[in-house]
Amino acid sequence: MSRRVLDHLHLNAPLAVAVLTRFIRDAVETSGTTGVVVGLSGGIDSSLAAALAARALGPERVHGFLLPYRTSSADSEADARRVAAHLALPHRKIDISPMIDAYFAIETDADPARRGNKMARERMTILFDQAKKLGALVLGTSNKTEILLGYSTVFGDNASSLNPLGDLYKHQVWQLARHLELPAEVVAKRPSADLWPGQTDEGDLGFDYATADEVLWQLFDEGLTPDEVVERGYDRAVVERIVTFERQFRFKRRLMLIARLSGSAVNLDQEIPRD
Amino acid sequence: MSEPAAGSSRLTVGLAQIDCRLGDLAANLDRHLAWIERAKAAGVDLLVFPELSLTGYRLLHLTTRVALPPQAPLLDRLAEAARPMAVVAGFVEESDRGLLHNSAVLLSGGPRRHIHRKLYLPTYGLFQEERFFRPGRRLDLAPLPWGRAGVLICEDLWHPELARRLAVAGARLLIVLSAGPGRVGSGDVPASHESWEMLCRTTALLDTCWVVYCNRVGWEEGSFYSGGSLVVRPGGEVATRAPFLDEHLLVTEIDLREADRVRWRLPLLADERIDIEGPDAEDRP
Repeated sequence: MSRRVLDHLHLNAPLAVAVLTRFIRDAVETSGTTGVVVGLSGGIDSSLAAALAARALGPERVHGFLLPYRTSSADSEADARRVAAHLALPHRKIDISPMIDAYFAIETDADPARRGNKMARERMTILFDQAKKLGALVLGTSNKTEILLGYSTVFGDNASSLNPLGDLYKHQVWQLARHLELPAEVVAKRPSADLWPGQTDEGDLGFDYATADEVLWQLFDEGLTPDEVVERGYDRAVVERIVTFERQFRFKRRLMLIARLSGSAVNLDQEIPRD
Repeated sequence: MSEPAAGSSRLTVGLAQIDCRLGDLAANLDRHLAWIERAKAAGVDLLVFPELSLTGYRLLHLTTRVALPPQAPLLDRLAEAARPMAVVAGFVEESDRGLLHNSAVLLSGGPRRHIHRKLYLPTYGLFQEERFFRPGRRLDLAPLPWGRAGVLICEDLWHPELARRLAVAGARLLIVLSAGPGRVGSGDVPASHESWEMLCRTTALLDTCWVVYCNRVGWEEGSFYSGGSLVVRPGGEVATRAPFLDEHLLVTEIDLREADRVRWRLPLLADERIDIEGPDAEDRP
C-alpha cells in the first residue's frame, strides 16, 4: 500500500476504540435497550464489531448468533466460535438451511447471487427477531469500503440499528482488530461473504482491498478526480470499476446510523442524492 | 460564595463540558441546574456551557420547536438558580422579528441579558446552519463584574477579525461556546481538536487575552463531539484542559490583569492600525 495513503489511513487506535465504544453505549442507553445482537460470521468485520460492543457493554450484553447455511464453510463456523469464546459472548447457532431450502424448492431457477441475497436477508430477519425477543439492537458490521463500493445485500447484511464500522476503511478494520488482539486466524484470513464455496470478496470485486482503500481515500477524502488517481500510477480499469461500483450502488446507503470518525463520513459530510 | 469585590479582576471560571439531549429543553434545563450546583460547590464565579446547550446542536427541523424569546421564563429559572454566579448558555433564540438565531445568553444577576447571536453560520460539509438560522449582525462587549469580555460561538472564532475587534475594544476575556464535531486520525488527540487548540492559542497570543473554550461531548446522529475544553492564558499558553469525550467541569482561577501585563510587554493591540490602505475591493477574488 502507498506509504502516503497509509499514513492518512492509520488511526490512533486507542482513541478510535474509546470513541466507538462510547457510540455503542450511547445508542443502547438512549434507546433504553438491554444490549446488542450481532451475527458472527467468523470474519474480521463482525468480529471487530462484537469486540467493540463487548468492551462497550460487557460481553454478557452482546448476543452472538452463528447463522450458517448447509454449504457454509466449516472454517467460518469454527472461527465464529473462536471469536465468541475469545470475547466470552453468549452465543447460539441457528441453521438457516430449512428456511432457505423451503423457498428455493419453489424457486428452482435462482442463480447464486439471488441465493446469496436470500441468505443475507434471512440472517437479517433472524437478527431483528432475536433483537426484539431480547430487547436489544442489531449491531451493524459493514465497513466504509464495502459501503462505498455497494458490496453488500441491501436490507441484508447492510441492515442494522447502529453501525460502529461504517466510517472505517477495511485497512482500518484490520488495524483495530489487531489492536484489540482478535484471534490471529480471523485477522489473517482472506475476507469472504461465504455465500458459496470458494467465494472471496477480492475475487468478486476484481481488485484487492488495499487498492480499493487507496483509490477510495484519494477520491473521497483527498478529493482527486478519477483521472488524477490514474495519473498517480493506478490501473485505469480498476479505478473505473471502483468509480462505477460507487455510482451504481448509492441507493444502498441511506438507512444506516454510522459512527463518524473522519471528515468524510458517508451521509453526513457527503449527502449525495441516490440518483 | 461572596460577591466579587469591586474592581477585582480575579475570578474562577467553570467550563461545563456536558452532553445535551437533542430537542429536549426540559431535560437540558435539568442538566444545567445540576451542573450549576456542582459549579457552585466548586467556587465558580462564571460558568460557561457549550453552544446550543439548552437544545442540542443538530436540530435540523426541530429548530423551530425549541426556540425561546430572550425573556423566556426558562432563562429566568437558569439565572435564579445560578445567582450569584454568572452563567453563559446556548439556545435557539426567536427574535421579536420572528427570526431564529443560534445565540448565547450571559445571565449575570441583573435584569439585563447580554445576548450574542452567532455571526458566522457554517453551511458546508456536515453543517447546515444557514438552512435553519439567520446570522447575527452585531458584536458587543459583554459586561462582567470583573471586566470586559466578549462572547463568540464556534465558527465565529474561525474569523479572527471578530476576536480582534473585541480585544481592541477592551475585552480581556473571550468566551467561546462550541459544538465541534470530533474526528479521529492518527494523532494523539482528536484530529478536530488539533485545529481548535491552535485557534484558541493563536487567538490568545495575537489578541493578548484569555480564551475560555467550552466544547460539548456526546453523540448526535452518528457524529460525536470531542470535548477537550481549554483555558488559554493571554500570550497563548494553555492553563488548563478538560479530558476528551466525557463530561467534565473544568475549574480555573484567572486574573484579567494578566492580559494587561502581557499587553505592556507585547503591545499588539495598542499598535493595531486601521488606517492601512488596500488591497482595493476590485483586487479581491
